[in-house]
Amino acid sequence: MIMKKRFFEFLKKGFLTGLFLALMGMQYAHAQQTISGNVVDENGDPVPGANIVVKGTTNGTQSDFDGNYTIDASTGDVLAISYIGYATQNITIGTQTTINTQLVLDQQQLDEVVVIGYGTARKSDLTGSIARVTSKSFEDQPMSRVEDALQGRAAGVTVARQSGAPGGDVKIRIRGTNSITGNNDPLVVIDGIIGGDLRTLNPNDIASMDVLKDASATAIYGSRGANGVILISTKKGSGKGKLDVDFFSSLSTVPKMLETLQGDQAGDFARIENLRRGNEFIPQSEIQLLDEQGGVDYQDEVFNTALSNTLQLSYSGSSEDMNYFVSGNYVNQEGTVIETGYERFSLRANVSAQITDKLKVGVNLFGSRGITKNDMTIFSRYQGSLVAHAVTWDPTTPIYSDQAAGLYNEGSTRSLASLNYNPIARLRQSDMQLLQDRLNANANVSYDLTDSFNYNLLVGANTLGSTTENFIEDYGEPEVGFSSFKTTGFQVSNILSWNKKFGNHNLKVTGLYEFQESEARTNGYNVIDLIGPLGYYFAELNRGFSINNNKTKSSIESIMGRLEYNLNDNLFLTATVRNDKSSRFQEGNKAGTFYSFAGSYNFTNMDFIQNSDLLSSFKLRAGWGQVGNQDIGIYSTFNSVDISGVYAFNGETRENGSTVGQIGNPDTTWETTTQTNVGLDFGFWDNRINLSLDGYKKNTTDLLLAVPIPATLVGPGKTQIRNVGEVENRGIDITLSAAIAQTDNFSWDSNVSLSLVKNEVLSLYDDLDEIQGTFGSIDGQGRVWNVIQVGEPLGQLQGATFLGTWKSSEAAEAAEYGLEPGDAKYLRDEDGNRVIGAIGNGTPTTLWGWNNTFAYKNWDMNIFFQGVHGFDMLNALRGTIVGATGNQRSFMHPEQLNQWTPQNETDIPAGGENDYGSSRYIEKGGFVRLSNFNLGYTFRDVKGFESVKIYVGGQNLLLITDYSGYDPELTSRPADNSGNTDVAPGIDIGTYPNPRVGHIGVKFQLK
Amino acid sequence: MIRKVDFNKLKIPFTGLVAVMVLTFVFQGCVRLEENPSEVQIAPGSYSDISELRLGVTGIYASLRNASQWSTFYVNGWSGDDLTTHKASNKADFREADQRNISNENSRTQDNWRNIYGMIFNANTVLQNIEGTTFAGQEDEQNRLLGEIYFLRGAMFFHLARTHGRIIIPTTPEIDFEVQLASQLDVFTQIEADFIQAASLLPDLYPGVNPGAPRPNKGSARAMLARLYLDWAGFPLNDTSKYDAAAGMAKQVIDNAAAHGFALVNNLEELWALDTRFNSEGVWTIAYCNACGTRNGKFARLGWPSDNQGWGETFAEIRYFEDFPEGARKEATYRTDADWVNFSDQVTPVFKKIVGPASDDPVSIGVHFTSRNDLYLRYAEVLLIYAEASARAGSATADAWEALNMVRRRAAGLPYADPVPTETSQLDAEGNPNGLTYVDVTSGDLAELTFTERKWELAGEWIRWNDLVRMERVEQALSNRDPRVTPDNINGGIIPVQNAIIGSLGTDNYFAPIPIREVDLLPGLAN
Repeated sequence: MIMKKRFFEFLKKGFLTGLFLALMGMQYAHAQQTISGNVVDENGDPVPGANIVVKGTTNGTQSDFDGNYTIDASTGDVLAISYIGYATQNITIGTQTTINTQLVLDQQQLDEVVVIGYGTARKSDLTGSIARVTSKSFEDQPMSRVEDALQGRAAGVTVARQSGAPGGDVKIRIRGTNSITGNNDPLVVIDGIIGGDLRTLNPNDIASMDVLKDASATAIYGSRGANGVILISTKKGSGKGKLDVDFFSSLSTVPKMLETLQGDQAGDFARIENLRRGNEFIPQSEIQLLDEQGGVDYQDEVFNTALSNTLQLSYSGSSEDMNYFVSGNYVNQEGTVIETGYERFSLRANVSAQITDKLKVGVNLFGSRGITKNDMTIFSRYQGSLVAHAVTWDPTTPIYSDQAAGLYNEGSTRSLASLNYNPIARLRQSDMQLLQDRLNANANVSYDLTDSFNYNLLVGANTLGSTTENFIEDYGEPEVGFSSFKTTGFQVSNILSWNKKFGNHNLKVTGLYEFQESEARTNGYNVIDLIGPLGYYFAELNRGFSINNNKTKSSIESIMGRLEYNLNDNLFLTATVRNDKSSRFQEGNKAGTFYSFAGSYNFTNMDFIQNSDLLSSFKLRAGWGQVGNQDIGIYSTFNSVDISGVYAFNGETRENGSTVGQIGNPDTTWETTTQTNVGLDFGFWDNRINLSLDGYKKNTTDLLLAVPIPATLVGPGKTQIRNVGEVENRGIDITLSAAIAQTDNFSWDSNVSLSLVKNEVLSLYDDLDEIQGTFGSIDGQGRVWNVIQVGEPLGQLQGATFLGTWKSSEAAEAAEYGLEPGDAKYLRDEDGNRVIGAIGNGTPTTLWGWNNTFAYKNWDMNIFFQGVHGFDMLNALRGTIVGATGNQRSFMHPEQLNQWTPQNETDIPAGGENDYGSSRYIEKGGFVRLSNFNLGYTFRDVKGFESVKIYVGGQNLLLITDYSGYDPELTSRPADNSGNTDVAPGIDIGTYPNPRVGHIGVKFQLK
Repeated sequence: MIRKVDFNKLKIPFTGLVAVMVLTFVFQGCVRLEENPSEVQIAPGSYSDISELRLGVTGIYASLRNASQWSTFYVNGWSGDDLTTHKASNKADFREADQRNISNENSRTQDNWRNIYGMIFNANTVLQNIEGTTFAGQEDEQNRLLGEIYFLRGAMFFHLARTHGRIIIPTTPEIDFEVQLASQLDVFTQIEADFIQAASLLPDLYPGVNPGAPRPNKGSARAMLARLYLDWAGFPLNDTSKYDAAAGMAKQVIDNAAAHGFALVNNLEELWALDTRFNSEGVWTIAYCNACGTRNGKFARLGWPSDNQGWGETFAEIRYFEDFPEGARKEATYRTDADWVNFSDQVTPVFKKIVGPASDDPVSIGVHFTSRNDLYLRYAEVLLIYAEASARAGSATADAWEALNMVRRRAAGLPYADPVPTETSQLDAEGNPNGLTYVDVTSGDLAELTFTERKWELAGEWIRWNDLVRMERVEQALSNRDPRVTPDNINGGIIPVQNAIIGSLGTDNYFAPIPIREVDLLPGLAN
């Protein structure tokens, strides 16, 4: 309570006192009596400093330290008793002279202080577009990932899981995709420290997340603000010390199995194989056995039901001048793919103290260790992921060649279906451990130089030690790899702010000087040709050894100024300027200056709203700004020499040689994003319903584009960074929140967020109307499955157009291409070449989330739906299952039972090239998901406990989609990890399926 | 229930901690804004020390191996009547060559083009970096290294030219979007210039290397020149004056064979065995090393059908096998111990040259990568170039006949150096008579005898196609692929040819199209 008071002290002085002064001028005489009373909070504790105003007058007072007040007022007057964080109470004066009031917490008002970066602002004062997600909206969703809390809850924010692997990647995009080559990840700022990592953060530590969306809001982060900014505030303690414990267990399964000719259908598999070969390659006797007993179902074998446990402890509170929040978190997740998992320990201590009236200091410490076992993306994916191998593995080959001896069949005994190493053996024999140790420390010092001047110093240091220890088995070639990636960084921010009120004019000026540096060291070795016992720690016994080393350093130095002005709490103006100097660009191109301007007008105090029963508030916002993107590889403006090439002249000794590495471009500079945003905020029925609409247009110019240089001139895979081209994003963000029911026993809060975004590439370079992407095909055709085209959104999928089969009547024409009736037919141009072009687009245009929280007496329930629409998927995984191409040599899909025959000329090819990158495998990706369901019951009278809550529920319980793969939300990375995920979305080469999760948990607070 | 922690007692140490953290950073001052890649990377540009040149040359070899590690390097070789591939599996790129229907999208041809120009770009960069620099006192080593660069560049221009005919021939690393295809003559002239330069810079024997010239010597460069002149004399330029040059160049190599370390090995089997992968027959050897990560992905399981855990990439043509003269050479060329007629995956003879001898089975069955080397050019071919070229030039001497006979004798299992003027028994690999007889040839059409000898000697080494091209015998050879005797044990009768010819067998279809994806980017490649 006391801390809460301090927290709002400056607000009280800065705004409310001023408001009284203004009202004073309108005072007029009236017959009066003296009213006295007492103000207490929800716990019955006195509230000092509450404001008591006679409505419509300037007559007001404040409660004293014991919560008592006296005020003169007349019968019929209305007393408005208010305190920040609590709902204002309006009491009409009758005959009574004593009015005691118990204030009720107002969550909506509490939310009103929004973190805007280098300071805070009341939500009602905002000029920019900021989406806020507080812990209240996700506390009923058991989660181990912060990203889950953002998904579907903030309009304009796209959160897409890249895989269902525990600890797997999650992609966050704010208002679409700007950059073709550069990084499109938003900037994460945790407690003021730039460059946080959401993956390692404990969601239970988060008090709120403020997402800065438009350029007028992000411009204060200058060169790093172009992709939006997520400001995370971790929890602070308050009140009496309390211990919270939350524990939940969950079971994950793969929601659906894909259709294959494995397992029960292995007999069909064998018959189709013989048919394709035109001989009895698999003898009839064996087929009969397969029909009777079934073959191996490798898909079934690669998945299992996975158990996860999460334990969360926190101790928080405040005492006199200090407050504290200490938490510990343990997550242990098994993966639904065998032999995969994730484990995380984390510890946080947030402590702050008011040393003197003017000086306040705080320290936040965060440490975590994450262990990922067998990250599936580390295995080679040039012929699809391990999941793709599993769903295409020969069902006639048993897993083991000698189960007793633990010997696996490494490959198909007949070289059928997938030629890759047995995926079950691969997973069981491999041991790949990714260990990530993180320590973040930051200190915050705030000193009030005068009443209006404040100096704030923020220093932060972080280290991340990430090591990978891999042992991988492949066709008789076990391999050991080690890599270490260590980064250390620091940030120092000096923030000077000055806040002064001149009559109706309120002015706030913020100045910043900041510098940040980060150093990364990479060391690793790879060992092949192992001899003796096999295992990571026997790597010494080898005949082939290679090492790699690198170190990079980058730094940025910035000054920023912000001017906030408000007139009469109605008109708000903000202007910012930031200048960044980045080490990533060469002399003359280092500095970038970014401006923004925004304004808003709050109509709430106007008569037409005050007099309206429907409309309770209305605000108009508009802003314009420019932000940058500097995110290119360190040293990438320089030419480089690659010394990783190896040749062994004597056939035994490695000799490293130098080759041309990167082809640099010293003229590289910032990518610039210019954004205009217009927003409307409505409140209806006393703000029980709030609606925010934001429209924006965002143009990114001087794109940092890795321009491919033709291989004929420099060899394959070489690009050069250039500032060329333009991408536009236009969209609308809608947030609707409603307190649908609010009675003593029942409440229903509902939140809808909706984002519509349209992306378009406006230009490339050298008058090109398209450039090839980098997502290499997995069917051995050496093609690229994505393309960037002017006039189209990013994420164009590229491939052949499938026309079914060559019919018997077309035999002659088919023969011109060396094909026969029954072979796959593709669209060809007049020269007879297969036409390769855009066949779909993987970038979604519509995203929404609908979150409902119900409370009935001691019961509570959360139901959260989420949907994504308007995109295509290239289901290359289905192509792989169909197979008979590349290193998947057999037909494996049940649709092959209906394949073309001379008698029944269907459009399912019986031969010919099966081009996975073709319109045959393009599917609609849109989906609706029941993302979370949770039902809880709280016991309030358990001895020794403040409260005990038991809950059950699940995630991803329902998925409605036409997509035939595992899950359309997931997209794959290309095998060589090249390029940017945003220009190759919607390609499925066998992602780790998104699990269906059921959970049960208990949450309690000790007295 | 919970003991209250008195945080106020911690206030002073806490404040102290904050003060230390703050001071540590504030006094550190601001940050350095200059990038300094030279701390962790070798500086690009001119060389100041010979060690940089050494690294650069090794780097060219590394990018050569990058291009040569897969069968992709020789994909055009499937065009020949000696090689075929799986008729149904994922070998479409090879089938296109086998069926003479190479599309401009053929991804192996495309990869090969790209990788080879990657090596050429590196070679040109090293040449630029060394230009005008002489490392005093180290001229011998510098010359050797320079000679290798010219050799490698010439060899790869030649390699591509044999596939595509006209190519581009950049000799600097400048990035030129206006680049144009050179004429066939300019292509050959450039290759010739590179090899002549190499021959003048390289020593007779590269010091400190294994047998087989894994680093080329003067003789390697001359042998490549001989191969070039033989092509030059045939299609498409048909400059028959080059036969003389081919013969002369080959003769120089033969006369200095001992100095270059070149000689035929007595036992052909050794050439395809892992243990003897470095041998005197290699006139230029591309070296591989499994343990070094520089693996060779062309051999072992790729030559077997799935009956023997194979991946069915490099198969032998049945008719070619049927026609192949019996004897020690056939035994060394094919795995006649395999019951190939009864293979269920695909009926195909198996090249020992691909899968290795039976003694290597433990390290090659079910294995993809090996440390086997590529014998890019064998001494036997030098002898045959000499014999054929001097015959076609009309200058054949007894030496030319002897060159042919050396190859023939070995093929008969006899010591290659000892003339056999009278009919004698051929010997098998164990040195026992096998019921066949042998005698040296000294009369007849030496050119044609040698051309046919090449057919058998170099079978399965991706060379036969080039012989068919230069002599314009594609149609003649490829029209004769139907098996004569091999039974079809499942369907009865004679087994049919596996991959029928689809494309033209005329000279209009002798060269593979330039990959369309590259033409799209560089219009100068279109004509």
